[in-house]
Amino acid sequence: MHLPALPNLFLADLPPEAPLTPSLVRDACISVKRNRTQWLLPRRTAELVDLIAYNADRWLQPDYPLRRMALQAGAAELGFSAPTMARGLDAFFRQLTHDHLMGWLTQDLGDSRRLDEFSAPAAELRHGRLALARGPDLLAQVAAGNLPVSTLSLMVAGLLLRSGQFIKCSQRSTILPRLFAHSLAELEPKLGACLELASWPGGNEALEGSMMGESDCLVVQGSDAVVEDLRRRMPSTCRCVAYGHRLSFGFVAGEVLGTFLAKKVAERAAIDVAAWNQLGCLSPHVFYVEDTGSLAPEGFAAALSEALARLENAEPRGALRPDEAAAIDQRRSLHQLRAAHHRSLHRDAITVPRGAFFEAPTAETQVWSSEGSTAWTVVYEADPSFRTSCLNRFIYVKPCRNLADALRRAEVVRGQVSTVGIAATEGRSQELALELARWGVSRVCPLGRMQDPPLAWRHDGRPSLAELVQWTDWEQASS
Amino acid sequence: MVTSLSEFGEQLRSGISVFSRTGEADFLDDPGFNQLARSLFRLQFEANSAYCAWCQSRGINPDNLSCWQQIPLVPTEAFKEVDLTCFEPGAASTCFHSSGTTGHRTSRHWHSQQSLAIYEESLAGWFEPFLLKEEVQEEALDLRESDGRWAILSLTPPPEVVPHSSLAHMIGTTIRRFGAKDSLFAGMLDSNGDWALDSDRLLFALRRSLCGNRPLILMGTAFNFVHFLDLAEQRNLRYRLAVGSRLMETGGYKGRSRVLSPEALHSELSRRLGVPPSHIITEYGMCELSSQAYSHVAGGKPERRFRFPPWGRIRVLSPETGVDVEDGATGTLGVIDLANVWSVLGVQTGDLAIRHGDGFQLVGRVPQSEPRGCSLLTV
Repeated sequence: MHLPALPNLFLADLPPEAPLTPSLVRDACISVKRNRTQWLLPRRTAELVDLIAYNADRWLQPDYPLRRMALQAGAAELGFSAPTMARGLDAFFRQLTHDHLMGWLTQDLGDSRRLDEFSAPAAELRHGRLALARGPDLLAQVAAGNLPVSTLSLMVAGLLLRSGQFIKCSQRSTILPRLFAHSLAELEPKLGACLELASWPGGNEALEGSMMGESDCLVVQGSDAVVEDLRRRMPSTCRCVAYGHRLSFGFVAGEVLGTFLAKKVAERAAIDVAAWNQLGCLSPHVFYVEDTGSLAPEGFAAALSEALARLENAEPRGALRPDEAAAIDQRRSLHQLRAAHHRSLHRDAITVPRGAFFEAPTAETQVWSSEGSTAWTVVYEADPSFRTSCLNRFIYVKPCRNLADALRRAEVVRGQVSTVGIAATEGRSQELALELARWGVSRVCPLGRMQDPPLAWRHDGRPSLAELVQWTDWEQASS
Repeated sequence: MVTSLSEFGEQLRSGISVFSRTGEADFLDDPGFNQLARSLFRLQFEANSAYCAWCQSRGINPDNLSCWQQIPLVPTEAFKEVDLTCFEPGAASTCFHSSGTTGHRTSRHWHSQQSLAIYEESLAGWFEPFLLKEEVQEEALDLRESDGRWAILSLTPPPEVVPHSSLAHMIGTTIRRFGAKDSLFAGMLDSNGDWALDSDRLLFALRRSLCGNRPLILMGTAFNFVHFLDLAEQRNLRYRLAVGSRLMETGGYKGRSRVLSPEALHSELSRRLGVPPSHIITEYGMCELSSQAYSHVAGGKPERRFRFPPWGRIRVLSPETGVDVEDGATGTLGVIDLANVWSVLGVQTGDLAIRHGDGFQLVGRVPQSEPRGCSLLTV
């Protein structure tokens, strides 16, 4: 999207008719590296942390012009309503405080000074060891499509590590990375000169070759096929950090389904469904609900549908492309047909159904959905098998006896599960988290926060800053 | 007022056969179609329990249905799990399946001798004006054999080999009705049970038609034609089929060959067979329907705007709101097919289309239930 109000700082700012060439990409990488050596490498961590936190604070102000532009243009480009977008942006920028940034460095590197000087936490010091961490000279990023925040988060990481950055944005969403880069350049033009952003249809070997040829680390977020394709073409001088396809689900324990609490739990579940219109890897496809509560799983599904309807007023989903809406429409129809079929079998138990040629699914199905739109859909299926949703606020609710039972049903997606959002009592949460960890889930969080991971979260189970650095160990002579 | 499906079927069949002879379908003008659709809806509502349950859940019954646009459409996906049929168990003799990839469930559409007779009348009645006529009359040679029949060459296996394929049945019917004696099926099943070309038979038939300079009708699926292109490439074959020859291609690859865009497929076929694009007609059909739509009349402008026969009417619905879209807008394609006498007359096809009057242009399939997440959206 061409935004006339922004100066042409980055390749991605150029009008679409301006052609990208491999040499243009190469030259951009080289000048980013040169600028980085001159202006970014000498900076101290504390200064950068303050700058990032200050910038984030600007983004949280409702009248900050780039934020307003993001809400408007971003909604047009990405299809999120302004309130949905605002919720997502607020959740992200609220994380970027001095404390959280320092905490992230300490967690991932052992000591927040590691990038400034030889330093070490106490356990290493005792053995006379110090270490210094260095970020890549040029950190390249192939960004994923719909969700902008993981791209922004990696841009922050690159800045903390004093790396020059080249961000290959998805063609569908260039706007937020660009606006974020502009906000940094606005604060300090020299910082802006250590960033480059561009966008082209993925798979362009010439352009990607130029980018990878100049980078010493490439972060890819994409499907397995995209990752595999880039790995194959990557020069040996470039290290690859890949984040593949993940999905998530929720678990609601029976004991939180008392009548009063259930409504709250359903509201939190609705937030997870609505956040970024469910399009992220951390968004739930299914909620497994224990059938031991005073409210049955179907009752929870009904409560969730009410919560989604309320949320639609406050944070509308926004318009979809016809194919996306049609995917929802078609799935809804199918489930509604199953529901009707099931009801008729039970109502007329004596009548032999004419369609006795082959076995129709007999598990109970119920559907709740927005009237006259595809805004939200809740499908309750008594069949507990895991199902992937068509997303855009389309959620399955399924019964289970306990977590072990739910995990047996989710076996088909084992190894691909990022987040499990849970609603349970404090005492039981601990036990559930352990069970989930042993099963291979990489993140457990309370319901309502699935799409809102902390800055320092271990993306797909790996420390994200630590993945990017190279170390120099210094073993001191014993005195 | 018709009182049984048999009676309805007989009336429709004789109406279609009048249409085939005279080109007249007055009984299917707006009020006529509406009345027939309502009668058929009532009969199916009573006889088809799965459809009845679906309609009731939508609050529609024969007494409150006033126009055909209110008839509930059933998604084609539903044919994969519920028997949408009015037949008593045992009364149906034939079952058409959709062509799914291995391991996927397929749709099932049941037929009896009686319903097949309507199916055949319906397909022949609309095949003839699109495939057997010429758009440009002044050049109209009499292209048929002296006995009025055409040499038809099918790239699909014959219906005896693939009894569940509605397409093979359709081509078998056209050969019986319109085909010369030497019409043949040049498709077979390979050792995996997949559709393949019997290249000897195919090349024999092509050469025979070339020698006699006889126009040919070549029929098959898109992947059949890609298999043919691969064979032609491999053996370096290029033909110039007799003037007036024509191709009927029906979409769909299902992972059985490399995939070409319709434009690329047609231009390659045109190059290899010497048949102009005006004589490459695309058929739109599926096992869940008993009528087909065609892109254009042979010899006409290949616009790829499909039309169903007068006994099938389309709806292009906004997936967001469920109401009919304006002309020129995109929506999901539904068909009210009166020839679906013993199943359901209203079918939601699962295809996206742009509406153009009573015709449509295909945009693509509605994305199915594949897992998606942020990382799959990388473009």
